Amino acid sequence: MISLQTLVAEVKNLQPIPAVAGQLLAVADHPDSSMADIAKVIQYDPVITASVLRTCNSAYFGMKHPVESIKDAVNLLGVDQVIELALIKSGSQALGGSQKGYGLDAGEMWKYSVSSAILAKQVAARLSLKGKNTIFTAALIKDMGKVVLEKYVAQSSGKIADLVENQHFSFQEAEKKALGIDHAELGAMIAKMWKFSPRMVNIIRHHHLSDETKSVDKQIAAVYLADCLCMMLGGGVGSDGLAYRFKDQVMKELGFSAVDMSMIIADFGINMQEVEALLQMA
Amino acid sequence: MKQIVGVADMKVSNNPRESIVTYSLGSCIGLVIYDPAVKVGGILHYMLPDSSIDRQKAALRPYMFADSGIPRLFKSAYQLGAAKQRMRVYVAGGAEILDQQGFFNIGKRNYMALKKMFFKNKVMITSQDVGGNVNRTVRIEIATGDIYVKTSGSGEVKI
Repeated sequence: MISLQTLVAEVKNLQPIPAVAGQLLAVADHPDSSMADIAKVIQYDPVITASVLRTCNSAYFGMKHPVESIKDAVNLLGVDQVIELALIKSGSQALGGSQKGYGLDAGEMWKYSVSSAILAKQVAARLSLKGKNTIFTAALIKDMGKVVLEKYVAQSSGKIADLVENQHFSFQEAEKKALGIDHAELGAMIAKMWKFSPRMVNIIRHHHLSDETKSVDKQIAAVYLADCLCMMLGGGVGSDGLAYRFKDQVMKELGFSAVDMSMIIADFGINMQEVEALLQMA
Repeated sequence: MKQIVGVADMKVSNNPRESIVTYSLGSCIGLVIYDPAVKVGGILHYMLPDSSIDRQKAALRPYMFADSGIPRLFKSAYQLGAAKQRMRVYVAGGAEILDQQGFFNIGKRNYMALKKMFFKNKVMITSQDVGGNVNRTVRIEIATGDIYVKTSGSGEVKI
């Protein structure tokens, strides 16, 4: 078991996700916000702004004229794309490293996170859900608990493997049993310490739907579903593999069929270069 | 030289200096074939069982689906001189999430689609590592036909 004080101290040592992400979300999913409001929030962070502009000017977008301001970027690429770029850039520092305890080399979990976020966007669109930027961001950062927990997972790897392989535990259940906390709970704690909204904290805490009653919250269900899809697709999956629980009931409640699932996988297969392009962002 | 097969992708080779690899098979299937007589091998990495859900996408990315990808893999190997009766066949992937059942179990459906096609066309699987809850990477060396599988978090194992 890990003491709470130890974990709090570790979280304080992390490089946090820049405040701009939280502010951007507050503005982006607010129905009365204008493009100018959104541009203003992004411009407030010069590092994120420079990075977004650099990406806009990369070969991938094929712009004829250089994009020199966030306002230009919004006009040329659309507000959704610019918000996504800014959110992705915000998360890359905190999540881009290696997590050896989960068998992940540098950049692998980040690839998984970006893929998850893109899948979550597709799920949100297919089910016409509100708060698409919140869903996108939650899918992007939901595994940040692993950044801290990986060290402890490594120390207890034998016990966790035994629980998963021989005692029918999911990986998350095994973390909880062996360490006293799982990566979803720890991720929620980090999000809270970093002053993300209660909404975001809640989605991160329940992103594996270990408490099935939380599926009435469609945003949680969408992030959960995108995570399942991403595990099945395999890119950036660690030693925890696919050892999480699938909930048929949640699919029924969402009105999400096996055909919907296949269609999203196929769309992702077509648009995979989007992930690659986003990953190449500095 | 390492040839990388992406997701919804396929490569064949008769170059003895090459190996072919495909990474991170979750529910997707990595189908590996090899004819030792002519030293021709290939890997297909497909994502879904059946192209009938979207013909347009199948036309654009035939390697995305079992039914449109598998025949193309075999035909590409035949073009390099491989013959069906000599072919060694190895299957990896088709993993599933815990409790994933019925039509939602894409991993199992991916595998069943392959089995059905092989039964119809009298192709035998030489060996396989399918199902379970693990993520696999598979590699073949063209010179020897040796196949290696790596499960995330552990080392590479020769088949």
